[in-house]
Amino acid sequence: MTARTPFAAAVTGVGLVTAAGVGAKATWHTVTGETTPVGVRHRPELTDLPCDFMYGVDDLDTTEVLGVATQRLMDRFAQLAVVAAREAMADAGLDPGTWDGTRVAVVIGSAHGGLPFYEEQHTALLERGARRVSPKLAPLTVVNSAASSVAMDLGAQGPSLGVATACSSGTVALGTAHQLLRSGACDIAVAGGAESVCSRLLIASACQMKAVSTRRDDPAAACRPFDADRDGFVIGEGAGLLVLERPEHARARGATVRARVAGYGASSDAYAAVAPDPEGRGIERALRAALADAGVGPREIGHVNAHGTSTVVNDRIEAAMLRRVLGDDALVTSTKAMTGHTLGAAGGIETALTVLALESQLVPPTANLDTPDPRIPLEIVRGAARPAPFDWAAKTSLGFGGHNAALVLTRA
Amino acid sequence: MNAAEVVNTLLVKRFGVDPVDVTDETSLQHLRMDSLALEELRLLIEDRLDIDLDEVALTSRDTVGALVAAVDGKVAA
Repeated sequence: MTARTPFAAAVTGVGLVTAAGVGAKATWHTVTGETTPVGVRHRPELTDLPCDFMYGVDDLDTTEVLGVATQRLMDRFAQLAVVAAREAMADAGLDPGTWDGTRVAVVIGSAHGGLPFYEEQHTALLERGARRVSPKLAPLTVVNSAASSVAMDLGAQGPSLGVATACSSGTVALGTAHQLLRSGACDIAVAGGAESVCSRLLIASACQMKAVSTRRDDPAAACRPFDADRDGFVIGEGAGLLVLERPEHARARGATVRARVAGYGASSDAYAAVAPDPEGRGIERALRAALADAGVGPREIGHVNAHGTSTVVNDRIEAAMLRRVLGDDALVTSTKAMTGHTLGAAGGIETALTVLALESQLVPPTANLDTPDPRIPLEIVRGAARPAPFDWAAKTSLGFGGHNAALVLTRA
Repeated sequence: MNAAEVVNTLLVKRFGVDPVDVTDETSLQHLRMDSLALEELRLLIEDRLDIDLDEVALTSRDTVGALVAAVDGKVAA
């Protein structure tokens, strides 16, 4: 294998819109300060399904923030992306009115794109006929519309793309942005993930698949990563975007660097449509590749924001893999009990939380982890957020279809 | 609600057009109503007034007044 010159992209901006809060500060406050989830509740759209609840962003009036003229050309996942992108840009101190937009890339992952609009329009087709179907179906539902919406909103005219690798989409988007910056194709990249699928169709199917929790009597306790009593994930909506910059670009403009994305690795299980490789060999290769890319040893990783979905299989396989690769010193957590499983947004949201953890030297706890699963060979952070000194952190993500991705980050 | 009121209300509420910009002489293009938006507006007007505008040919170069007149023609018919 040819050694590559290390490349650490500067993280200069963070934007988060989650069920745990609108804005990075609000989300971080909830994720580190609350002991039970705040954004999960029953949804009328899901009535009578075995899983009739999800995590939603309830404290955001997108019409007020974006205006009707902007909002009408986006489905909700793209709206959330634009709100997060504006926050990340402001945090980075960047002004789209003054930059060279041709040097700004946008890379945003999403698993399902505008599925709710598809579902709504399909209902219109069946109930009212072909002439009642909206002409906006294609532009609003394509997975890349979060990226194109953000590019239009910011005037970013560099490479722009949507990434679809199921639940690792956000992480792959950030890794792709890292590579674009490294290649010199852009100086700035706005990257991460966005998802919003309060869709009766999708969740009905997820129930059939037995992938989601059916703890209807207590939705706040349903997502419990690494807990002995976990029974599936709980879907959430949200967006998490970072502003990444070539280090010399950030330095030249005197930007505050919040952390650095130092390494990226990806792999495919080539194994099954849903189940991960039983030994986690695919995600192991991705994580080892990210470590090699960053030029850091596995024992240097002090914190991992794990995929930790709260499914029986994922959490067991992933924890065993983390133990095998990193040993047992890294402080491992899953923040999904606070945000829900935001599918294609998860990697963006959780990498943003990893940036905040590095910056504040504080590891968020895994909420709802009351009874550690004895089959999980790792001590997972639970209870209160844990202060700890660490210079390196990792983010792991797995997606249906066997799409694995890992990022290695370091302090600014 | 007559045709003008329906059109004006939709332009403001559903397309985010500033009410002061809506006059009979304003071109739809000036209101940033492109061909996609016009098709969407056509559907909304048809739903509101229970009419069929399929044969009405409109482009962004037409004015609000021309659109209202076309809708009025269909309502009257």
